[in-house]
Amino acid sequence: MSEREIFLVGLSHKSAPIEVRERVALTGDALKAALGELRSTEGVSEAMVVSTCNRVEVFVHAQADEPARRFFTSRAADAGAHLYVKQGVDAIRHLFRVSSSLDSMVVGEQQILGQVKEAYGLASAASAAGSYFSRLCNRAFATAKRVRNETDIGKGATSMSQVAVELVEKIFGDLRGRSILLAGAGKMGALSAKALQVLGADRILVTNRSPERGQALAAQVGGTFRPWDELTKLLVQVDVVIVSTGAPTFVLTRDMLHAAMKARRHRSICLIDLAVPRNVDPACAELGDVYAYDVDDLERVVSSTREARRGEALRAEAIVEAEVMAFAKEREARAALPVLAQLRRHAEKIARAEAERTLAQVGLKLDDKGRKSVEAMAQAIVNKLLHGPTARLKEAAASGDTSLPGAAAELFGIDHEPHEATSAESEERSAGNGAGRASAAASERS
Amino acid sequence: MSVTILRAATALYTVATAAYVVFFARPRIARAATIGFWFLAAAFAVHAIAIGVGCAELGGQEFFSLRGGLVLMVWLAAGIYLVLQRWYRLPTVGAFITPLILVVLFPLLFVGPEHAGVPPETLRNPSVTLHIVTAVLGVALFGLAFGVSLMYLLQEREVKGKRFGALFSRLPSLDALDRLNQRLVRTGFVFYTVAIVAGTLTAKVVWKSAWSWDPQQVVSLAVFLLYGAMVQLRHTGWHGRRYAVLTLVGFVIVLGSMVTLKSVPGVTRHAGDYGAAARAGDAQ
Repeated sequence: MSEREIFLVGLSHKSAPIEVRERVALTGDALKAALGELRSTEGVSEAMVVSTCNRVEVFVHAQADEPARRFFTSRAADAGAHLYVKQGVDAIRHLFRVSSSLDSMVVGEQQILGQVKEAYGLASAASAAGSYFSRLCNRAFATAKRVRNETDIGKGATSMSQVAVELVEKIFGDLRGRSILLAGAGKMGALSAKALQVLGADRILVTNRSPERGQALAAQVGGTFRPWDELTKLLVQVDVVIVSTGAPTFVLTRDMLHAAMKARRHRSICLIDLAVPRNVDPACAELGDVYAYDVDDLERVVSSTREARRGEALRAEAIVEAEVMAFAKEREARAALPVLAQLRRHAEKIARAEAERTLAQVGLKLDDKGRKSVEAMAQAIVNKLLHGPTARLKEAAASGDTSLPGAAAELFGIDHEPHEATSAESEERSAGNGAGRASAAASERS
Repeated sequence: MSVTILRAATALYTVATAAYVVFFARPRIARAATIGFWFLAAAFAVHAIAIGVGCAELGGQEFFSLRGGLVLMVWLAAGIYLVLQRWYRLPTVGAFITPLILVVLFPLLFVGPEHAGVPPETLRNPSVTLHIVTAVLGVALFGLAFGVSLMYLLQEREVKGKRFGALFSRLPSLDALDRLNQRLVRTGFVFYTVAIVAGTLTAKVVWKSAWSWDPQQVVSLAVFLLYGAMVQLRHTGWHGRRYAVLTLVGFVIVLGSMVTLKSVPGVTRHAGDYGAAARAGDAQ
């Protein structure tokens, strides 16, 4: 029986087009069935499938990557060309990076961690994930949490409508009771208006040169349509104006705003110009209490966010690397522990037997104190003898050297079973132990 | 003794300031804001003890000096900020308020609390106590409004100028700062009005005339009118930038006049050199 290892086979937005991803993506019952199938495959002890719109990844604790590969090729014959396969520490690193949103399309986005947690939850509920994946995933989640807490990777707006929303919030704070005017029927404008509405803006007014399109848009965003020639009047009523018409000239001029601001008694107004060519005269921004932004301004914020996140991603990578190394070390140390335990049991058994034999021979001439001294001496010899080998075995395990535990077993004539931990894990799993923490605790003892 | 306790309070204020500044620079260290709050609370308590011990030692005469007034003002400003922090949760504001507290408090550590001469018995009545407390409270609120306005203006420049820097990601929204500023000015004005009324009543008794063109009276009336105008302007739609600038100007006038009137000897009879008056009385 060859040693089990963690394998990852998958495809993502980086390696495969959407046409391939959508054919292998799974949800709900289909995913449960696939997990069951993987789990019952010969040589697979644990399995987990992360399936989102940007990636489908199969993690298995198995003897080979073949079962995971088959997951893809049986669903899409041409998937093979887009697959990436990782093994051992590389697979662990990949899971940690994905959970920490370092492999996402928008680096630092928040959803992926929840999706990985869901994938683990499903695998665990289907009894496909056992103590190994429990340890692995909990470490991955802890890593993601560290990345989120210790870096600014999730900070800032990553889309123009998000920037628009942030600006409006910065100026007006609470959006309750605020009203928005959507001038023109551009798609970006509708998106931003929708976003502002979600944040609590009460009223959306829509105006457009062509009433038909305007009315349609009003219905779509849940607003009220107002005729285009009311524009100057509307400027007095609303707090935010989102402009995205196809007009080649300025729709809002400085004079219009100047008059509107007087009528508004200088209540602040925020103008967001999403049109190219621009629809809002940049001179409007010179007026007091007028906050005007165009596409370039918004885009600049988006790109500065991206820039900042790239910098933060480097710090995040360092955190991930440290966590991966720590996890791998623990894993190695865990592999060496059975040998140590056996070695100690073996030695103590001999010491006890020899002490008893000696006592049986001379027993009558010794009092209780003497008896205890003999036993203590035997134990002390065991401890002294094993002290060096124990330290060296632990060291070797920590540095990733797996040959020494085997050699020690050979040398001391112990029956070395490298898969002892693994078989204990599969027993746990077949007992239906899905709760991550409980099984992790159990494996700590094993 | 009270000076020593005040120095201890200043040390606590310094720690609070450092913690708030650290929190401002690194908002991820949420503990810094908590540390700032509790050190500020401790400083406030120790400061209260210093004021109490000072009263016991000097029988309240210290409040007739600029030093005593400022010590009281800083204490009240710290207390008001602690309450505001509990209500509105604005820990980043601490990084603006606590340094102002230190700047005012620090020079006072090197001045003795004794007033020049013991105030006459005629000044030992409740209306004078009311006058002192409400005046200092009003000025403390104006001082906090000054800090908030400063934050508003700095941030407004960033938002309008499309430079979204450190302030942008840390301070409350412009609207929130504007409304806080307005509330502080309005509340401050209420106390200041009470102080003026109490002061006028005192003047009528002690100076034998409610209005005698004393420079302190003229300046106080100007400040009263300025802040009164601000409260009124709010109703006509004044807000934001212009309001914040007015708040800055108002407090500069308040603080400037306080210092000027006290540092030019004999310019005002208000809380003046009672020793000189006593000596003059002896001579007669």
